[in-house]
Amino acid sequence: MSPSDDHIPPVTRPKFLTGSALVAVIFAVCVGVIAILAQSVVRDLQMLEASKSDNIQWTLSQAEVEFLEFQATLRRSSEPVDLEKVREEFDIFYSRIQTLKNSPIYSGVGEDSVYAISLGSAKTFLDETVDLIDSDDSTLLASLEEIENRASELRISIRTLASSGLIQFAEQSDQQRSNVTVALLRLAAVSALLLGALSLLALYSTAISRLTQQRGAALAEANVRMNTILSTSLDGVIVSDTMGRILDFNAAAERIFQRKLKDVKGLPIGEVIVPPHLRKAHDDGVKRMNEKGITRVVGKGRVRLEAMRADGTIFPTELALQSATSGNTQIIIGFLRDISSRVQAENELLNVRDRALAGEKAKADFLTVMSHEIRTPLNGVLGNLTLLDDTALSDDQRRYVDNMQISGQLLMEHVDTVLDIARFESGKVEMIKEPVHLGNLLQGVVDGQGGAANSNRNMIKWAWVGPEIEWVATDAKRLQQILLNLVSNAIKFTHDGVISVEAQADMVNETCATVLFRVSDTGVGIAPEDLDKVFEDFHTTDATFGRQVGGTGLGLGIARRLVESFEGEFGVDSTVGQGSAFWFRIPLDLTEPPLRVTEETKPAEPARKLEILLVEDNKINQMVAQEMLTNLGHRVRLAEDGQKGVEAALAHRYDVIFMDISMPVMDGLDATRQIRAADAPWSETPIYAVSANVLASEQQRFLAAGMNGFLGKPLIRKSVIAALNEVSVVDPTDLTMRAAHGKDGMIHTMAQMRDELGDTVYDLLKDRFLGEGNALAVWLENGPVDMTEMANRCHRSAGSAAVFGALGFRDELIALEQAAKAKDVTRVASLVPNALAEWAKVEAVVQD
Amino acid sequence: MMLRHFMPILTVIGMISPTFVHAEELASPTGRILLTVSGQITETNADGVAQFDLDMLRDLGVEEVQTTTIWTDGPQVFVGVSLDVLMDRVGASGSSIDASAINDYTVQIPLSDAVDGGPIVAFQRNGNVMSRREKGPLWLIYPFDSSADYRTEVIYSRSIWQLDRMAITQ
Repeated sequence: MSPSDDHIPPVTRPKFLTGSALVAVIFAVCVGVIAILAQSVVRDLQMLEASKSDNIQWTLSQAEVEFLEFQATLRRSSEPVDLEKVREEFDIFYSRIQTLKNSPIYSGVGEDSVYAISLGSAKTFLDETVDLIDSDDSTLLASLEEIENRASELRISIRTLASSGLIQFAEQSDQQRSNVTVALLRLAAVSALLLGALSLLALYSTAISRLTQQRGAALAEANVRMNTILSTSLDGVIVSDTMGRILDFNAAAERIFQRKLKDVKGLPIGEVIVPPHLRKAHDDGVKRMNEKGITRVVGKGRVRLEAMRADGTIFPTELALQSATSGNTQIIIGFLRDISSRVQAENELLNVRDRALAGEKAKADFLTVMSHEIRTPLNGVLGNLTLLDDTALSDDQRRYVDNMQISGQLLMEHVDTVLDIARFESGKVEMIKEPVHLGNLLQGVVDGQGGAANSNRNMIKWAWVGPEIEWVATDAKRLQQILLNLVSNAIKFTHDGVISVEAQADMVNETCATVLFRVSDTGVGIAPEDLDKVFEDFHTTDATFGRQVGGTGLGLGIARRLVESFEGEFGVDSTVGQGSAFWFRIPLDLTEPPLRVTEETKPAEPARKLEILLVEDNKINQMVAQEMLTNLGHRVRLAEDGQKGVEAALAHRYDVIFMDISMPVMDGLDATRQIRAADAPWSETPIYAVSANVLASEQQRFLAAGMNGFLGKPLIRKSVIAALNEVSVVDPTDLTMRAAHGKDGMIHTMAQMRDELGDTVYDLLKDRFLGEGNALAVWLENGPVDMTEMANRCHRSAGSAAVFGALGFRDELIALEQAAKAKDVTRVASLVPNALAEWAKVEAVVQD
Repeated sequence: MMLRHFMPILTVIGMISPTFVHAEELASPTGRILLTVSGQITETNADGVAQFDLDMLRDLGVEEVQTTTIWTDGPQVFVGVSLDVLMDRVGASGSSIDASAINDYTVQIPLSDAVDGGPIVAFQRNGNVMSRREKGPLWLIYPFDSSADYRTEVIYSRSIWQLDRMAITQ
């Protein structure tokens, strides 16, 4: 946690050492030199103090005095002779010369010097005379004259001795003084040098001290800053050693864990903050880190864990652990954040979201239920109206029935509109592409809305702008819905005007075009400020007017969603008082016209009389469906609930079963599953769901349960006929015939067709059949993956195959279609070779 | 500069208590008189003076001082009477000693110099009784080597040789 790592400049120890070492060396040298010089000076001073010099001048002059006294004694001794005095004076002089001769003080003088020569003369005199002095009195007396003569000769030498000695010793003294001076000067110089060195050292020390102070201050400041950060940090910061013992515990940690640093310092962190149920994992982690150096949390970023307060409450925490080196020891630093509030907020958000989703689901469920609850009785009303219409009625009665039918249809449309929204909201709307003739589609829309247009005294027309295109592969119902919504919207807001539908194709390439559809009117127009809103849900330009014209306000919203599902674009231009022009532009794939053109344009009568099982609990619906199917020439048996439906279906062979979904005792789905699962000869009978619930997701459930198709309530005659046409081709007699005759059956069918249609039409159809079959075969061989496309194409070709009596091929295609619808890729792959083989046979027969 | 040399080669050969000596009357010299002490003294053996021959000095108790001097070459062994003992024997009561040599050279020595371990009145050098030619008969020797305090010009000047008289003064 030391801040020095980041904030303090590293101490340049080598430099510091070099500097101090240098100064130390200078210091030591100076001290050594001073010590030597001081010793020398002390010696000199000691010499001066110890003054070995005696009083040289006095001694020298005394020598001369004593010589003169000796000489005087000699002269005086003539009469009366005092020999003892002579001897005494001689001895005194002798002693003096001996002193000069022997004393070290006087020995420093060179032997050649005048002094030394003079002293030598004196010594010689003494040595030559001493025997005479020491002889008896008479001899001495006799020698006195000679001694005196000798002394006279020595007189000059003694004089010279004194004077030269004085000069000599004065020089010596000078030299000694000079030596002391030089030594003192040297000492002074070295002392000055030392003083300089010491000054430098002092300066250097001051600088170092200042630097150290600055570093210390910076360190202290960094520490204060770090402590401030740590103490004011909202995150708890806990420092521990590698064994997990707490070293530090900041204010936030104290707050979060309701513990005090002084109480927890040194305690194992596991006991302080880790909840009991995580403690073993924690201890294992500490052990793992120490033994193997493996860390799962340390240095791995933020981890969400649970922690424990002093009072034992456990709360969620976000934790980040880092290891660091402090001095020589490794420490672990933990940053902890109490995220109780955040987790609480997240949970609340989740709850809100869940509630919102549940609300959405409730809405969808409500719409589903409503569709059932509204459409079922409405189904009954409209069905009965249809039946009523077929009876003998008076003109007034017929008009009332018509009015009731119009009102009923309008109500149904509104319900459908709301359901459309629900379908889009559920996001499970599948685009079902099929060949559509655009001109026919537009014509149909205009025709269908002709009556409504007339009621507002509007004229309605449509036209191509530019080149026409005919067949496109698209979801016709959706396209129709868009156009219907726009046209009916235009009619609503236009009186005594013109509704004009225009289509304009821009070829993108040979197989694809972009088509612009424009629905313009000469109506009231839309105010500019409302233009952006008209595509919104539940939008009516004016509440009053909206009421006047009616409508849910959903029409344009649905149109917008549909255009978007085509990946197209849309817009509106409008001038108030002059009219509006709604437009949309969608991409469309060009396609060949389908073979079943004749079938579609001319809804056929059933190929044969069918045995139909109707499983329906609603009496009115029973009656409507029974009437409708009976009128179509089929025989209908009734079952009142799912259970009875299962029993009936397994007891007798039916061509098709119409199965209601919502029923008492057993619903349609369970019934279907039981039929399919039963080990009975009729368990594969085609079953069609009959339901008011038109949601795509529901239809998926029907197929998943084993149903073959779906019919919306109320039953529409056209849809029923189409469904029956699909099942009527699966005729057991056909199967028998195919099994018996195979190729012959097909030839028979083709011969019949030729008779009915004439050669020209038959050849055209035959060529198309071959073209379509070959195209499908090539497509299948290439291993397609689009299961929806697969189902569509197989479905289409199965119809064509049935027309030509190629029942084997048709069966394979139907099997393929069902596998494709179930998205069973494995089964599809296993079925494709069979279909191709069958096609090869069919192709050979048709070519003949 | 307190560079005292605490290695005095100072050996007491004979130790005779001064009080014991005191008890006796000062004898008269029988040999040649080497020293005459006069002035403020209580013990005399002549006309107000105390006279000493070599034997009398020896009888006071001899002391040996081994030291170098500035007047001699190399270490010297001096034997004589401690000035302290001598002054005690004569009952000196003044403060100063006027010491005179044969040639009448006189120096003034404070009586306070006469201490135990201090100067001796030497009569023998290097085993020989000192002749007049060798600064005899008596030489006041301070133990120069024992202390720097004794190696000063003042002390050197007090180291009178050819000594034969002492006068104790106030």
